[in-house]
Amino acid sequence: MALSTHTTPSGFLLPSIHSAPPFFTEQPNPTTQSTATEQWIRLILTYARHKKLFNLRVEDAEIAESDWEEILRNERINRRILPNHLSNIIATMVSKNLAAYEPPKQARSVLVFWRLPEEWAEVLYDWVRLYQLVSCFHWPLNTILTFYDITDPPSGSPLGNIPVPLLRRAIVILGKTGRSQTIAITDGEGVRFLPRAK
Amino acid sequence: MRRGVGLAAFDLQEQSKRSFAQLSSELSKAQVQNLHSQLDHFRTALAHFASTHRESIRNDPSFRYAFQQMCSSIGVDPLAGPKKGGWWAELLGLSDWQYELGVQIVDVCVSTRERNGGLIQISELVRLVSRLRGMADGGITEEDVIRSIKTLQPLGAGYQVVEIDGVKMVRSVVKALDEDQTVILGTAREQGGRVIEDDLILQNAWTRERARAALENMLLRDGMCWLDAQDEQTGRAYWVPSAMQWEI
Repeated sequence: MALSTHTTPSGFLLPSIHSAPPFFTEQPNPTTQSTATEQWIRLILTYARHKKLFNLRVEDAEIAESDWEEILRNERINRRILPNHLSNIIATMVSKNLAAYEPPKQARSVLVFWRLPEEWAEVLYDWVRLYQLVSCFHWPLNTILTFYDITDPPSGSPLGNIPVPLLRRAIVILGKTGRSQTIAITDGEGVRFLPRAK
Repeated sequence: MRRGVGLAAFDLQEQSKRSFAQLSSELSKAQVQNLHSQLDHFRTALAHFASTHRESIRNDPSFRYAFQQMCSSIGVDPLAGPKKGGWWAELLGLSDWQYELGVQIVDVCVSTRERNGGLIQISELVRLVSRLRGMADGGITEEDVIRSIKTLQPLGAGYQVVEIDGVKMVRSVVKALDEDQTVILGTAREQGGRVIEDDLILQNAWTRERARAALENMLLRDGMCWLDAQDEQTGRAYWVPSAMQWEI
């Protein structure tokens, strides 16, 4: 049996290790296990980027038709990752800052950082500045934007569907470099974006 | 010669002994000289051959193989010689080439060690090294790899070519393969990488304890195989990555 790559119905190219049966078992040898975990993390992040997925839960290992089914199962060899195994991979991702428990103080579900919060901050800032330049009717400079304005603007956004906790992290990062201000408004919070400090 | 008596006869005997010795040393001197000139002649011819075919030797693997075969059949090691890297090194630039290949072999062995436990089939090694060199195939041969590994030996890194069931493998960890592991690797290759206790018991008349101990050692102590706890047949199968067919 040759182990080969495979293209899923959603157009994602699975690496050949995904067709190796032992990939779906937690390895008792710590060195082997850390290699396998690295491969899993890379797979999860690239798949998340491919499908723009933000939330991964331990239950995704058990639920049929989960968003992650294409990587968490391999029907061709009749293998699937077990919840415990996935839970350990998630814990490693959190320890490497490649994911964060969301909501905090539990370990069943995470935000997956296929872009780091720092990278999201830059994406957000570049997009807002560009948007302000080309459509000052909508958002003249210094307009206070709601989170909804960012995640669901009339003309689409590279941050579409971004979960609010992740957006909040990005805004906090911009705030630290003086590029955003969070302001309390009537129905919650708003953000004002400021020009880059020279 | 009449055997004389008295002192004069003794002198005569001594003298003839001397002249015989002289003659013999002259003879052997001539022989050595003749041999030297033959060797010189041969060396020049070989050097001439090497320099005219230098490009072919470096670039064409089958030509290089034939050249190395020729050298070894007449007892000349292309890498041996009084100078560092051998006198062929200067002539052919072959030693740089071998060292460079050595570095690439180490690169592949080290980077795949975690998934194969430091044991790699030589054809797989050739494939990965060729990919590293940016050539589809045909760039290097198994023979080249084996030679390069020999040049690595003085480094004491423990790279070694071992033969298991007629298949050459390169081992990059200093770990003695015991007999049972050799048997397991043989079984693994027949099964595309998968080994279960029952196969070992049936094929080799091992006890279950022996089969389990050997497999668990490879799994836990050596990291030479991976565990599959979802195996349909037994619920516990061992997979040897170096015996699996990877299409990367």
